Amino acid sequence: MENRPLLRSTLAIYTVLFIGFLYAPFVVLGILSFQSGPEGGPQFPIIEWSTYWYRHIFGLTPPSRVAPLPIGEALVRSMTLAFATMVTSTVLGTMTAQAFRRRFKGSGFVFYLVVLGMIVPGVLVGLGIALVANTLGIPRAWWGTAFVAHVLYTFPFAFLVMLAIFNRFDKTVEEAAWSLGVPPMRTFRKVTFPLIFPGVLSSMLFAFTLSYDEFPRTLFAAGADLTLPLAIYGTFAVEIHPNIFAFGVLTTLFSFSLLAVYGFLMALSVRSAKKVAIQEEIA
Amino acid sequence: MQVGSGAVAAARLAAEKKDPRARRITAILVAPGTIWMILFLVVPMLMMVYVSFWTQKTFTIEPTLTVRSWVAFFSSETYFGALLRTIKIWLIVLAATFFVGYPTALFIGLFIKNKTIQTIVLVLCVVPFWTSFLIRVLAWRPMLGKEGAVNIVLQKIGVISQPIEVLLFTEFSVVIGMTQIYVVFMVGPIAFMLSRIDPSLIEAARDLGASTWRIFRTIIFPLSLPGVVVGAIFVSVMVLGEFATSGALSGRKVNLLGNIIVTQVGSLKWAFAAVVGVILTAVMAVVVAALLRLVDLKKEL
Amino acid sequence: MTAILDIQNVTKLYGNEVALDDLSVSLEANEYISLLGPSGSGKSTLLRVIAGFEKPDAGEIFLEGTSLVGIPAHKRGIGFVSQSFALFPHMSVFDNVAFGLRHREDEPVRDEGEITRRVNDMLALVGLVDLGDRGVNQISGGQKQRVALARTLVADPKIILLDEPLGALDANLRSRMRVELRRIRQQLGITFMHVTGNEQEALTMGDRVAVLDSGRLVQIADPDTVYNRPASARVARFLDCYNMFEGRCEDGDRFVAGGSSFPYLPAEDAQAGPGIYCVRFDKIRVAPASEASRPGEVGVRATFITSEYSGPSIMYFFEGQGSKVLEVEYHLSHRQPDEFSPGSEYALLWSPGDALVYF
Repeated sequence: MENRPLLRSTLAIYTVLFIGFLYAPFVVLGILSFQSGPEGGPQFPIIEWSTYWYRHIFGLTPPSRVAPLPIGEALVRSMTLAFATMVTSTVLGTMTAQAFRRRFKGSGFVFYLVVLGMIVPGVLVGLGIALVANTLGIPRAWWGTAFVAHVLYTFPFAFLVMLAIFNRFDKTVEEAAWSLGVPPMRTFRKVTFPLIFPGVLSSMLFAFTLSYDEFPRTLFAAGADLTLPLAIYGTFAVEIHPNIFAFGVLTTLFSFSLLAVYGFLMALSVRSAKKVAIQEEIA
Repeated sequence: MQVGSGAVAAARLAAEKKDPRARRITAILVAPGTIWMILFLVVPMLMMVYVSFWTQKTFTIEPTLTVRSWVAFFSSETYFGALLRTIKIWLIVLAATFFVGYPTALFIGLFIKNKTIQTIVLVLCVVPFWTSFLIRVLAWRPMLGKEGAVNIVLQKIGVISQPIEVLLFTEFSVVIGMTQIYVVFMVGPIAFMLSRIDPSLIEAARDLGASTWRIFRTIIFPLSLPGVVVGAIFVSVMVLGEFATSGALSGRKVNLLGNIIVTQVGSLKWAFAAVVGVILTAVMAVVVAALLRLVDLKKEL
Repeated sequence: MTAILDIQNVTKLYGNEVALDDLSVSLEANEYISLLGPSGSGKSTLLRVIAGFEKPDAGEIFLEGTSLVGIPAHKRGIGFVSQSFALFPHMSVFDNVAFGLRHREDEPVRDEGEITRRVNDMLALVGLVDLGDRGVNQISGGQKQRVALARTLVADPKIILLDEPLGALDANLRSRMRVELRRIRQQLGITFMHVTGNEQEALTMGDRVAVLDSGRLVQIADPDTVYNRPASARVARFLDCYNMFEGRCEDGDRFVAGGSSFPYLPAEDAQAGPGIYCVRFDKIRVAPASEASRPGEVGVRATFITSEYSGPSIMYFFEGQGSKVLEVEYHLSHRQPDEFSPGSEYALLWSPGDALVYF
């Protein structure tokens, strides 16, 4: 198909426009986050460039008619929840994927059951869990019912990532360890785990971001204390101000810094394998 | 050893049966995840079906079985209308993501031969997912509003003299928002399938004198179909369960089944919310089953 | 001689495929046994069953008289070296070798000083002094092979199983490692069981050679016997050094194949009927077609095609009746290579006593 220059350039231009379509709202949002405050609204034109709304988020502006975003405690809750979800779903995902390394009866059933967790719409999951909690008289809370719902969502991702990692894993190194007299559990700790660590890191990243940003499942399952996305959703209903745009820019930066940490750890785990060799070269 | 992998797998299965220790380890590894999914996903879904037949009092529900909530749903124009609107919006968004996404997938999968550049362009498409879902939805407000970016640009270049007001808080804005958010799920699978097409196949067809359109229709499109189906399943599942985008971009004017559930829960009408939930589940099951019938994914992937 | 490893009637199925078929063999202490067989013959499966990576469907295995049934791999005290070396990629050479000592379940070595001493001794034995600090991705294939061996040896196993250990090495390294392996084994007095698909390797390495075919043991003997008197036509074919004629025996001492007919020395079990007549490549003399055969010689006529020079020997390829390719090998330490003209007919002659007939 390369020898169709007209078609090729048409599609290339289209793809550029397409990516523009994906990014345009963010660009607009980013620009408007520098609207002057507190009188400037969430629309063009920019009255005056300022960092007012960023300072507003951190409570550094004098009180005005615009209420500060209720994010302080919600942020802590969301981080805690995302961390717990990350650990739980990565452990569950690794265990289940490890079991899938050998065929067992009912493996098809378990596979579809787990994958169902990422398919069923969040609003239904939240509704179902809320119904069960109400019926049993369990109070709904972000650290209880919402945590359970989050793991339901992130565990399938962790499972699929680990399944892919184990698919490429060379089993002979484990056999070598056994034949040296090392029992299976210790072999897993000393040989298997270090080798699958990049996969573990990836599923941790997935789980953390998905949970940190989770909204539809949390809506019914969180109870009275709100997580960050719920707090943001609350401000939707009333009038919106550019402070929410500034906040959007900040969360995006936070997500990118997470990505950077992931990249750094990944590079580190690749490097540590070669560390000895590098020392050798220096010497 | 040159033994078929099927034979090896069968032997592993046989060994599993005979080996109680291996079976125990597998059970221990599988149990926590399985129990979690059954307890917190399957049981709640069944509970939802059960509660949909409970009796709804003003602020409470009672486990006396009745079909009143079901009758209420189908006899109310508002609620039944929400079902039809959900299906309508879903079909429009599905078509939009397909038509908007396919050319890009075509370019990425078929025209970019360098795997690294291919990955970079795909990552570029996925990057927006690193921002909060709600912020992504919200970002459309300053785009489509009366004083939004689109209107300003259109006025500047003289296409329109008066700002278009129907851009925001209409079905149009909901469709635009959802298309932007979900189109990537269509692009990815299609690009993946297209990149697996053997270029010599297309060369051969061209040597035989086939036109570009004919090559597309008889070779490229059929081979990309599994990707289209996978993408359609992703998009369908997410759009059908939507409520945040429609809520935020329609000014609560476009109510989907998801929005009905949210309002009903808000006013403690749990039984009614459960009815809507069951209907939504049924719609999704039918849609996914129908899409899976189009292509035998196990064979194609 | 005491049997260190006794394998009795082991059967292993992969679904409907039989990998090991009622196989029995026993290994003596302090011997080097090579296990030869075509791919799919079950030789690797046998090794994996002995190591405890796979469970046999029937039969028993005894190590020094103790049954291994139900004993997991890490409690067997059997070393295993795989073709891919299976080194731990995230550890240095030293840590690879020390791994078993540090982490094994039975009698782990806690004293780092002792670990250092034992690992360094072993690295010295396999010729890897000063390479302990290297990462395992920073060393050559041959060195990896030695690390894999050192790692297994340091654990002091009762027997070491080697699964095509030279398969991943280039030809030069192969022959060097053959010598090394034999030296190391003799120095330590451990029993080695070496699986290979290469007949040369099997014959050079083993004190005894066991030949496996379709999951059965078809011959176990010293290399000389296997080479000179293969137990069956299949073994002979697999050794790849015999010209084979399919035909029938008549009158008890004549063999008819195609249009040729040659006498052979009747074996005790000679009988009339279909059979396979085998002559080793290096037992054949090539003579001009006009030359009369010497007394006691038999032969066929064949057209010369081409030759292949390989240093110590040269192979000549002829085309006999029915487009059958016949091979003749001259060992050049004893003679000069001959010049034959392609397309011309020659007489291929041998003594009936050198021929083997299988029924």
